Amino acid sequence: MRGTRAALACGVLVALAPLVVRDAYLLDGLILILLWGSAGAAWNIAGGYAGQISLGHSAFFGLGAYAVGVLATRWGASPWIAVVVGAALATALGSAIGFLSNRLRGPYFGLATLAVSQVFLIMTSRLRTFTSGSEGIPVPFRPGFWTLGIADKRVWIYLILALAALLYLVELYLERSRRGYQLAAVREDEDAALSLGVPARRLKVAAIAVSAALTAVCGALWAPYVGFVDPLYVFSVDLSIRFALAAVLGGLGTALGPFIGAALITVLETYLRAHLGGLGGGLVGIYLIIYGVALILLMRWAPQGLLPWLGELRRRWAPQETAP
Amino acid sequence: MTRLSVSGVTKRFGGITANRDVSFDVAPGELVGIIGPNGSGKSTLFEVISGFYRPDAGLVRLDGARLTGLSPDRVCRLGVARTFQKLRPFAGLTVVDNVMIGALTRTRDVRHARAQALDILGRVGLGEKAHAHARTLSTGQRKRLELARALATEPRVLLLDEVTGGVDQRSIPGLVQLVRELHRGGLTLLVIEHNMRVITALSQRIVALYLGEKIADGPPDAVVRDRRVVEAYLGQAYASPPEGGAR
Amino acid sequence: MRAIPQLVVSTTLLGGIYALIAVGLTLIFGVMRVVNFAHGEFLMLGMYLAFWAFTLVHFDPYLTLVLALPLLFVAGWISYRLVMRPVIHAGHNVHVFTTVGLSIALQNTALVLWTADSQFVRTSYYAHVIRVGGAALNIAQLAAFAVSVLLTGALFAFLRWSYTGKVMRATAQDRHAASLMGIDTGRIFALTWAVGVACVGAAGVLLAPIYPVYPTAGLQFVLIAYVAVVLGGLGDMGGALLASFVVAAVEVVGSYVIGTAWKEVLYLLLFIAVLVVRPAGLFGQRGAETVGA
Repeated sequence: MRGTRAALACGVLVALAPLVVRDAYLLDGLILILLWGSAGAAWNIAGGYAGQISLGHSAFFGLGAYAVGVLATRWGASPWIAVVVGAALATALGSAIGFLSNRLRGPYFGLATLAVSQVFLIMTSRLRTFTSGSEGIPVPFRPGFWTLGIADKRVWIYLILALAALLYLVELYLERSRRGYQLAAVREDEDAALSLGVPARRLKVAAIAVSAALTAVCGALWAPYVGFVDPLYVFSVDLSIRFALAAVLGGLGTALGPFIGAALITVLETYLRAHLGGLGGGLVGIYLIIYGVALILLMRWAPQGLLPWLGELRRRWAPQETAP
Repeated sequence: MTRLSVSGVTKRFGGITANRDVSFDVAPGELVGIIGPNGSGKSTLFEVISGFYRPDAGLVRLDGARLTGLSPDRVCRLGVARTFQKLRPFAGLTVVDNVMIGALTRTRDVRHARAQALDILGRVGLGEKAHAHARTLSTGQRKRLELARALATEPRVLLLDEVTGGVDQRSIPGLVQLVRELHRGGLTLLVIEHNMRVITALSQRIVALYLGEKIADGPPDAVVRDRRVVEAYLGQAYASPPEGGAR
Repeated sequence: MRAIPQLVVSTTLLGGIYALIAVGLTLIFGVMRVVNFAHGEFLMLGMYLAFWAFTLVHFDPYLTLVLALPLLFVAGWISYRLVMRPVIHAGHNVHVFTTVGLSIALQNTALVLWTADSQFVRTSYYAHVIRVGGAALNIAQLAAFAVSVLLTGALFAFLRWSYTGKVMRATAQDRHAASLMGIDTGRIFALTWAVGVACVGAAGVLLAPIYPVYPTAGLQFVLIAYVAVVLGGLGDMGGALLASFVVAAVEVVGSYVIGTAWKEVLYLLLFIAVLVVRPAGLFGQRGAETVGA
């Protein structure tokens, strides 16, 4: 319950922020934290709750982003429709990948998902007919809510906060509900779970499909915010790792974890950009070196992530609290 | 009226035939013991019955309904639960959460499942440990947990794989008593056991397997003295002569 | 029809080089049960090693190779002790994130230090071509092939006939039993990792005269290696060897038929197909599903 109260507090703070903060740069940072946190939370559904570590979630993110790019540019459709289309496509792809998860354990599933995201990357950056190739697609800015042409960052904050809240609630559901318990059993020991009547295979597919759909929604909302869809970014391995890192850093399989992780990552990046901006291209390299080293250190010292690690510390340091 | 019928089950792994044409029936409320030296195919039989392996030939039926070919979770939902020889508790979950997984197969309501779980834990003697983490339990306690979990699925038939294996001597009578109580409550049980004293005390009937084949099927006294059974365990030199035997 | 000799020659040359990479990867999996996501980065480091040796001290890559082998072996040993050893007994997910982390860290260190620009090792004999039958052989490719075959052969011989090699195979079969027999599995793991790294790093040195060198160069080769490793059956050295030639054939014939631009998609689809249809590989060895074993 402690976690939910903290989350609620954070949510309230974020909701109040636009009323107090005027600096567009800070607001932008907050929006990105919420967005990457949401994407991390979506990844967490498959990776943390269902135990299926995907290294190719950028495939779904990109699908959502491209849905908006293509539908908005080619057919002038509202991005909201694209969100739905992207989510639907991602659900289909996610289900197919979910099927794969039943045949492949651990690293093979990771490799397979990586391969899928790279197929998307190559195809979208080479095919010019549908997706404008490696130039990417600019998302036209047409003012209005229906067209997601929103210049005021404060409105974006509420929009993305709503997305974040949705994801948080989905995660909570996975912690407290019957399906959530069953998933926990599947990730602990799939065969034992099967022997107790848990429909492990169906659950894994469902978890991955939901994770895929929600990741696509994140991508679909990101595209109009940023205004441009670049295939080399949107389907990149680095992006997939970023989603996983947010969850792993903050707390794999915890509801608030991905948001904490995303906050740390975004703050770090902002700090680095401010102080080392002169490096240009090398700057991205520096964040990534830090992420790589962070992953190695995390796996060594706190493989479940920061929140569970802090929880462990608290338990070890304050046993007196529970003594009579 | 047969509760569980195993007919002609054959299972091969490459060159090895783990089960060869094994057949027997189990009546409702019966407690049948399964014995045999290592490698005789006992655990494989359980894997086949519970749906983890598909047999190369033969059928398994529960109250007439076909089980072979169904996935393990469907088999459980239809009414067959099992424990594992190598204990598999959900280590990261608490004891009560472990049992809830079983209960949630029968009810959608999490609170109801929790209540059921606590009740069952009380019955198997783990009531006090309900909120401990499963990994803190001793072997004997883990055996009870495994049992409780399987019971929570409200099975019609319970398959127990080596319930006393690895348990210290003092805890055995308690476990045996538990199994007996379950049996008296009307549960149909299939029990694999190496401990002869336990199995002969518990079972109404024993099925003996050797090298994948059924070599005996009958009341404990008869099976234990059966020539082929003694030969299987101890070798030909020990098989008692046809007229009379030491006991 | 006329293209066949060329296709065969190209396949053979390429296959030999891929085999060196694949064999290191499958060895690490076989003995340690770890899928090394950073394998490609060691190849990249080998390439850069050759590049800098060539550019700074004018060492011919084949000379660099002699020095590189022990250097790469040590680098492998160190990376094992620092990065892998602390987590070697943890679960697969931990291994995945650890090797992924290593991969990103190495790739981006190269990026920051040496920029994303492609570098080339242009030896004087680089463009020299030999014609045999209806096929043209690039001398750098031929040399790479020859050395790869030598190194791969040496590895197989080592595993087959040396005591340590047998110990490694024993550990691969059953690490628990091996440790009960007194084998220091920790040392064997370090050795295996170092050998795997040395192999793939050596492949990098050999490939430097032929392909452009840049921080993410390892990716495309390691992808091929994964395809070969999965196709051949994880942990199966012989399978990886054979599968390398199969994959080389697919690449060569595929490029010929569809053109080189879609090569990567071809491997990726092949990879996904193998994982979906036959994760145990063509030769039906240890299945991908039993990673938990």
